[in-house]
Amino acid sequence: MDLSDFDLPTFIRGATQEVFDTMLSMELSEQELKDFGDTSRIVGSVSLAGTASGTVNIHVSDSFACQITANMLGMELDEIDSDDEVHDVIGELSNMIGGDLKSRLCDAGFTCELSIPSITSGKDFSIESKGWAVKEAVCFQFEDHIALIEAYIKNGG
Amino acid sequence: MGLKILTVDDSKTIRMIVKKAFRPYDCQIVEGENGVEGLALAAKENPDLIILDITMPVMNGAEMLAKMKEEPELKDIPVIMLTAEAGKDNVMKIVQLGVKDYMVKPFKGEQLIERVTKIMPLAEKKGDAPKEGESESKYFNLDGDIQMLAVPAKILRPTIVEVETQLKPKLKEMTGGGIKKMILDLSKTKETNVSLIKLIVTVLDNCQISGVKVLTVASAALGKELKDFQETGNIPIHFSIDDAKAAF
Repeated sequence: MDLSDFDLPTFIRGATQEVFDTMLSMELSEQELKDFGDTSRIVGSVSLAGTASGTVNIHVSDSFACQITANMLGMELDEIDSDDEVHDVIGELSNMIGGDLKSRLCDAGFTCELSIPSITSGKDFSIESKGWAVKEAVCFQFEDHIALIEAYIKNGG
Repeated sequence: MGLKILTVDDSKTIRMIVKKAFRPYDCQIVEGENGVEGLALAAKENPDLIILDITMPVMNGAEMLAKMKEEPELKDIPVIMLTAEAGKDNVMKIVQLGVKDYMVKPFKGEQLIERVTKIMPLAEKKGDAPKEGESESKYFNLDGDIQMLAVPAKILRPTIVEVETQLKPKLKEMTGGGIKKMILDLSKTKETNVSLIKLIVTVLDNCQISGVKVLTVASAALGKELKDFQETGNIPIHFSIDDAKAAF
């Protein structure tokens, strides 16, 4: 299968919505792409390496990350102990979405391994990723919050 | 003495979800962050079950399992594998490793419990089960001949698990004591979400099975939102406890 035939937009939307619904009881609605501007945010990332390689990034504002953490762990916002807890939850979300993408790629005949998640946090920064064969960015809304999911794939050689 | 369960995952989040899933049961949970820690804990603690993640730093779950299979003392401990990858190849690989079962993330705590109970029985914690004749619990309160079920402002998944755990014994206690009326009090609830809808459906279904008449109380705003859901659109909403009591 050629990567250009791989239905990345459908898979990435489905995986994100399933993970948010199952783990967080949050129903996401898709919306137009938005810029986080100088809002402080957290990015969870996982990479794929193999005959197909790729990256999945999930961007959420700090406040949404805390809401996600509280929902995931079944606690109130003021019960969150530390940034580590929030980073771990966002990392786990990126692992689940990246894991689904890896499964889809493997079912399409590619072989690849999934990295453990990494976290980037701060404000007023952009992540530019170049040289990919297929890329997709989709923005979801939950209440006043947005989550931006980016996925990039290419042949890994 | 309950079961001893070892959860091995580099994610504290997943370990917490596993711990919470087993909270209503008589289990001791031991935690490891990677395969090396998992192996050491398995040898030291001799757990009844291991919940093992695949993708971990230092030593991954597949390597840990392979080493366990080489150890006569560890090779028969049942393992449920957790994986973020549902692909056919990955699933085949997991099955060939000799695990009892596997779960693909994302998963709910109750789904994990279902899988575990297929392998071994789980006993509910004695302290958590309502004693005979005891009507108080976190969400339940008896008001005359009406059982009140009041839920918090925000319903999360753990709330559903807690209510479900308490609901069946409570209904048994009620019907045994001749109590056939319940008010589901959502007046504190501000937010409509999937968990709330599931909780309402669970309560109504269980009450119907038990022959208990249940009336729902909610604010006008929440009542309007519930009308928009297929599952709750036809449920009559009362706007105060007094209205609901009068309706009985």
